[in-house]
Amino acid sequence: MVKILPKVLANLLRKPFTVKYPYEKVEPADGYRGKPSITKEKCIRCWQCIRACPDRAISVDKETKTPVIWLGRCTFCGECAEACPTKAIVMTKNFEFLDQYEK
Amino acid sequence: MTMVVPIGPQHPALKEPEYFRFEVKGEEIVDVDIYFGYAHRGIEETLARRNYKHNIYLSERICGICNICHSTCYCQAVERVAGIEPPERAKYIRSLILELERIHSHMLWLAVAAHEIGFDTLFMLAMRDREHVMDMREIISGGRVHSATNTIGGVRRDVTPEQIPKLMEKLDKLEESVKYYINLFQTDRTIKSRCANVGVLTKEDAIKLCAVGPVARASGVKTDIRVEDPYAAYPNLSFEVITEDDGDVLAKGMVRLREMLESIKMSRQILRELPSGPLRVPVDLKIPPNEAVQRVEAPRGELLYYIRSNGTEMPERVRVRTPTYASAPSLKPMFVGGTVAEIPIVLWSLDVCFACNDRVTLVDAKTGKVSVVTMEELRRWRK
Amino acid sequence: MNTILDILSFLFNSIVFPGLLFVSVVGMLYVGIDRKVTGHLQHRIGPPIWQEFLDFGKLMTKEDITPSAAIGPVFTAAPLFALGSLAAVMLLLPVASAQPALRLTADLIVIIYLLNIPAICMILGGYSSGSSFAIAGAGRYIVQLLGYEFVFILSIAAIAVKVGTLNLTDIVSYQAKNGWLLLDWKLLPAIVATLIAAQGKLLRTPFDIPEAETEIVAGPLTEYSGPKLAIWRISYNAETIAVAALLVSLFLGGPTAYTIGNVRIPAVVDFLIKTFLIVMLTTVVRNIVARVRIDQALKFYWTFGILLAAISLILVMVVPQW
Ligand code: SF4
Ligand code: SF4
Repeated sequence: MVKILPKVLANLLRKPFTVKYPYEKVEPADGYRGKPSITKEKCIRCWQCIRACPDRAISVDKETKTPVIWLGRCTFCGECAEACPTKAIVMTKNFEFLDQYEK
Repeated sequence: MTMVVPIGPQHPALKEPEYFRFEVKGEEIVDVDIYFGYAHRGIEETLARRNYKHNIYLSERICGICNICHSTCYCQAVERVAGIEPPERAKYIRSLILELERIHSHMLWLAVAAHEIGFDTLFMLAMRDREHVMDMREIISGGRVHSATNTIGGVRRDVTPEQIPKLMEKLDKLEESVKYYINLFQTDRTIKSRCANVGVLTKEDAIKLCAVGPVARASGVKTDIRVEDPYAAYPNLSFEVITEDDGDVLAKGMVRLREMLESIKMSRQILRELPSGPLRVPVDLKIPPNEAVQRVEAPRGELLYYIRSNGTEMPERVRVRTPTYASAPSLKPMFVGGTVAEIPIVLWSLDVCFACNDRVTLVDAKTGKVSVVTMEELRRWRK
Repeated sequence: MNTILDILSFLFNSIVFPGLLFVSVVGMLYVGIDRKVTGHLQHRIGPPIWQEFLDFGKLMTKEDITPSAAIGPVFTAAPLFALGSLAAVMLLLPVASAQPALRLTADLIVIIYLLNIPAICMILGGYSSGSSFAIAGAGRYIVQLLGYEFVFILSIAAIAVKVGTLNLTDIVSYQAKNGWLLLDWKLLPAIVATLIAAQGKLLRTPFDIPEAETEIVAGPLTEYSGPKLAIWRISYNAETIAVAALLVSLFLGGPTAYTIGNVRIPAVVDFLIKTFLIVMLTTVVRNIVARVRIDQALKFYWTFGILLAAISLILVMVVPQW
């Protein structure tokens, strides 16, 4: 009761720990596993990524004949980026795409 | 005359759906029945239908809070089945993330316990300090919650020397705040009035009902898988098994708080003594028929995985026994004799995690009869 | 002519100032500040201070639901009566000057009565709503009412005995002459007891037992939604101001006007500052404690609270006046 009082009152004078998130961005740490992105030009169509994906989130695009990731299934494990021999798939730091629909 | 008070499946004190049927006499609880099964997801069966590597990520998703324990336990079980030994550095990194997970889980426990007794300031402050652990986990594994670090035969990500000072700094901040919370827990009158002598589990009951983890340790039972069945880097780490004698909610809280200090100490030791070497060994996923049991001390207690392989890339059977499942019977002596107002905090003192413990129960819609599906029946249906 | 003016001024007093409108707006603002300060005390940003207004506006546009299990008329009337009694109580409290809008001989007793009506309405609303959580909450509220109310009355009695009157205006003018009652050491225990009782009256932690959300959802208000809940919020906010206003008149000297330099600061500003201090005191207290159980709360009030109030009462009766 009394013990927490000074801590609590000190908080009044400090800058709040929380940030107004959508207006104030928070940068994730290096190596963050965000949205996986595919560079189509680098892809050699070995389909290692498809085999590695634990959620069967990667399928082949009929037109471009390159892999596409269904983000609704992806769990951002990074296995595909690890398996890709040409580093065509990399994990970006982007985590703000929940409102976007992508095939 | 007794009255039935249903708590759940939806109730503000429960963060997950589960049904407790309390028989009360006035305010006093005379009996309690626990019904599991509302969050059943059929994971054990799914585990037997996917290959070993893909299963890592499924096992991580059995429980969000102790995902690293699940994946570590799973990977170690597979390693045991396949007869491979991960490299030393991988073991240390596993221990590090396991300890960080313990800290964050106990921090979460502290926060929610504070909320259950109406101490919202402590809830906010604990959540704030938990953020340090989450940041550390993000630095090490690249994800705040799901680490995706473990893999069969080692770990996937390294702790680089540049990261170590940052981690050490965060550990210092954490230690300071954990010490403060211990002090607060020991001295605050309102916390004491809600937690002391509430939900007592005696040592005899704890042993008889096979309580695990902090629940058992708070009743004076010195049990810890890290000591009894050492895995990862624990044989090389020095730590103390924390026990308390009272068995009440306060003791359970103190065990968890003091364990956090131990975990911080261990994390420092790991970061200092991190051996060099490779991170993983290659594995052939076609594992010959074999079986193994692996135990891990999760934040909530003993977690057990049983795996049987059959020569293919998929396991024939995976059995998971989560700590909440093992501790659930000890809820009864903790509740009986208490009052209705104590239900939330006593329930939370077990650090219940239902999602990871649910089993199948079948309810006959016509008669309302409940039957549990046996293994044989499941096998039969599979064919 | 005079009667028409009287009626008009009475209407103005009860609806605009210091009645319904004033007490609601100030109440919402103060509770908004309370939430903001709570946020900062907990090291977060917290909602904007006009959040209560936004909440009110939003609730007003929601569908008005009366559960089929509820006793409709009681369920609907409860929040209205609560708000009405609080508007009435403001007429009896000195706000703009030492004189309240309405003078009665023994207004202290009427004020204590009127301040209980919101609690009773909440209990009735809870019982009539047909939800088991609401009924459990209402039951707890009755027990809590028995706890804090006696402490409240006993400590006010100590103050009344000290001043020798049951008239709030006289208590205020006594303080104008002899200094604040807060500074009287004999009354100090009673004043602490009043603050503790006020904490229970305003359902603030550690005495937010009737609406303990982890145990019984929102207590008596569980089934309320939409405009009815909005009226409950306003009456809660108004209650905060009314209780604080009573405490201000009891021992902080009531509203007084000052002259600093050449600027005359009206009494209502003084009133706002003093009530604000009391609200902030309850805010800080509610942020540094855990909720107690109902039996512990009752025990606390009936031992510690009553002890404090009784000490003061005996002191003012026995120790001669200086
Ligand atoms: S990150 Fe993981 S889940 Fe997502 S596409 Fe790659 S392998 Fe599949
Ligand atoms: S693993 Fe890389 S190169 Fe191979 S198909 Fe996938 S994206 Fe293309």
